[in-house]
Amino acid sequence: MTTAIDDQRLNETFGALANSTRRAILARLAEGSATVNELAEPFEMTLPAISKHIKVLERAGLVVRGQRAQYRPCALDAAPLHEVSTWAEQYRPVWEARFDQMDNYLTQVRRQQRTHEHDD
Amino acid sequence: MTDNDGSRDAVVIERNFDAPVDLIWKMWTDPEHFKAWYGPDGATIPVAKMDVRVGGTRLVCMEMQFPNGPMQMWFTGEYREVVENERLVYTESMSDEHGNVASPAEMGMPEGHPTTTEVRVELQDVGGRTQMVMTHAGIPTDSPGAAGWTMAFDKFALHLQAQGNRSS
Repeated sequence: MTTAIDDQRLNETFGALANSTRRAILARLAEGSATVNELAEPFEMTLPAISKHIKVLERAGLVVRGQRAQYRPCALDAAPLHEVSTWAEQYRPVWEARFDQMDNYLTQVRRQQRTHEHDD
Repeated sequence: MTDNDGSRDAVVIERNFDAPVDLIWKMWTDPEHFKAWYGPDGATIPVAKMDVRVGGTRLVCMEMQFPNGPMQMWFTGEYREVVENERLVYTESMSDEHGNVASPAEMGMPEGHPTTTEVRVELQDVGGRTQMVMTHAGIPTDSPGAAGWTMAFDKFALHLQAQGNRSS
């Protein structure tokens, strides 16, 4: 059974991947860790803009940053990719939401049924 | 990494409802009840046609509201097993409003999403309450690339790993 935390994680992973600059950053990091300056080089973007993308990737757990001095090199962590790797896992939160709704609707239906029984 | 056998891709959800089995059965087979719960997150179900018998077809429209207007998604399928109050199995594919099956790629889904999936609902009476097990699985035989999202993401993950290994 999925939890809200799992859902949140999946959302963040997908959100992070839904951007070509961020996918390019991940591809670059697959070759080895790099500093923000190095990552910014191939893009026509300001450092703060690149930093924002890296923060999104960090929140999604796809990038980890070293603690070393001011360079704080970025490195890839591909683990979250495995969690979202099936179409089926994408359907899970949809079904969970549906069944929550079924539960609420059932309560309504049964309340109405009881009211009708009372009327008879 | 998991293997790419699409048949292993399935969502299995077990739920217990404080309602008798015949009412849960109606939730799935009576269009009016079905419309009331099937559209999550603000989606509505304007159309639900259900010929609930083995070989009978179904056609469901899901409508979502967007700032630039409503978007409709149609799904069709066929009932494969119908055992009242116990077991319901039907297939599901994306389609147009006439029930002509559309490929997932045409509908904007990632390549490798199975064309046809199967939904299995098993109900059991537990002292007046209902235990429900829903299984939604891909049908690999209907789609050569049925590994679904696995294809896209596994490829991406492998690609990243390969690049990483090469340079380290």
